[in-house]
Amino acid sequence: MEILALLEKGIWFGLAALGFGILFNVPRRTLWVIWVLGAIGGLTKVFLLEGGIGVVLASFAGASFIGVLSIQAAHGKHAPPLVFSIPAVIPMVPGAFAYRMMLGFMNLTGDITSENYNELLHQTVNNGLKTLFILMSLAVGVSIPMLATRKESAKVIKLKK
Amino acid sequence: MEQKDDIKEVGSLLLDIGAALMSSGASSGRIRITINRIAEAFGYNADLLITHRALMISVSDEDQNEFFSSLKRTSPHGVNFTLVSGISKMSWKIVDQKWTVSQIRKDLERMKALPHYPRMVVLLLVSLAGASFCRLFGGGLTEMLVTFVATFAGLFIRQEALKKEFNPYLCVFFGSLVASLISGLSVKYQIGQTPEHAFATSVLFLIPGVPLINSFTDLMDGNIMNGIVRGINGLMIAFAIALGLLASIMIYHI
Repeated sequence: MEILALLEKGIWFGLAALGFGILFNVPRRTLWVIWVLGAIGGLTKVFLLEGGIGVVLASFAGASFIGVLSIQAAHGKHAPPLVFSIPAVIPMVPGAFAYRMMLGFMNLTGDITSENYNELLHQTVNNGLKTLFILMSLAVGVSIPMLATRKESAKVIKLKK
Repeated sequence: MEQKDDIKEVGSLLLDIGAALMSSGASSGRIRITINRIAEAFGYNADLLITHRALMISVSDEDQNEFFSSLKRTSPHGVNFTLVSGISKMSWKIVDQKWTVSQIRKDLERMKALPHYPRMVVLLLVSLAGASFCRLFGGGLTEMLVTFVATFAGLFIRQEALKKEFNPYLCVFFGSLVASLISGLSVKYQIGQTPEHAFATSVLFLIPGVPLINSFTDLMDGNIMNGIVRGINGLMIAFAIALGLLASIMIYHI
């Protein structure tokens, strides 16, 4: 049951990725690949979170996985890897943390007693830093295959194999 | 000896391709690689200065006898990965099949004219993506429905504002405001179990994913200036989203 609940999330991760793919006007033949990549990346993150790994590291792992798979997809579908990887990682963007950080900042500017201040500042900074580090780990994770292979084009990676 | 294509024609073609890539959301490294690849196919060296809103190119032949320099403004047209993908594919064909300048021009125009997804499809699927976000953050069916409607309205308003050529950040603000006003209603009247989820996720369709990821890609590539510019652009968009949310919170006192 637990596993099923997690797998269900995969569907939603995929759909969110697909929506952004449409928004970015990706070629039609790549749509289902984006759905699959989004689901796989999201599930990687969710499973790692379930295993007690921090959200930043889990996002990084999910994004790296998407990055590696997008190279494969690029060969199969003849499109640059970013067409697959960018829509696929967007469901992992830390929207909730960013929202809580913003709410926190807004509350901090309002009237606030000194007892609440520490607690609120602590939460706001925590959420803000999580947002920042998750965003960074997503961007770096996606470009991991390019950095690791030191090639300028995905096409070359294929030729060397 | 084979007659080389005119350096002016090649130069301005390269500039057009670079500008198309920049407007449709390619990273600086990709633009540089693609341009160099095509220039080499014609037997020229190309050097590029890439900035966020303008592109400068200097093309020379191998003996450095002929030069061509030009500057072109690039307009932000919105992300279009079909064009990025098409140009990438075309650049390999140019190398492999020795395309001529007019052939490339024709193909470039064809790709630019390719239709986008129908507006209804975009609206529906992006709204569905919004609902999926809501589900991922723990919302139930009611919250998903609220997010769907809010995203639909927000995206519609943003598209309309873009058509009327408002400032792009203002368009984001309008979208965020409308979406959060609709989802805010559910928070105000406590519809559903956790209406906060609907409120927080209804604006996520606006997140500047491409600017932020390209920003980091550019920074890692050493294109520090472009990375910073793209990052600030992304932050401005995020700020516009936040302002829209803030306005809704103030209006509803939630």
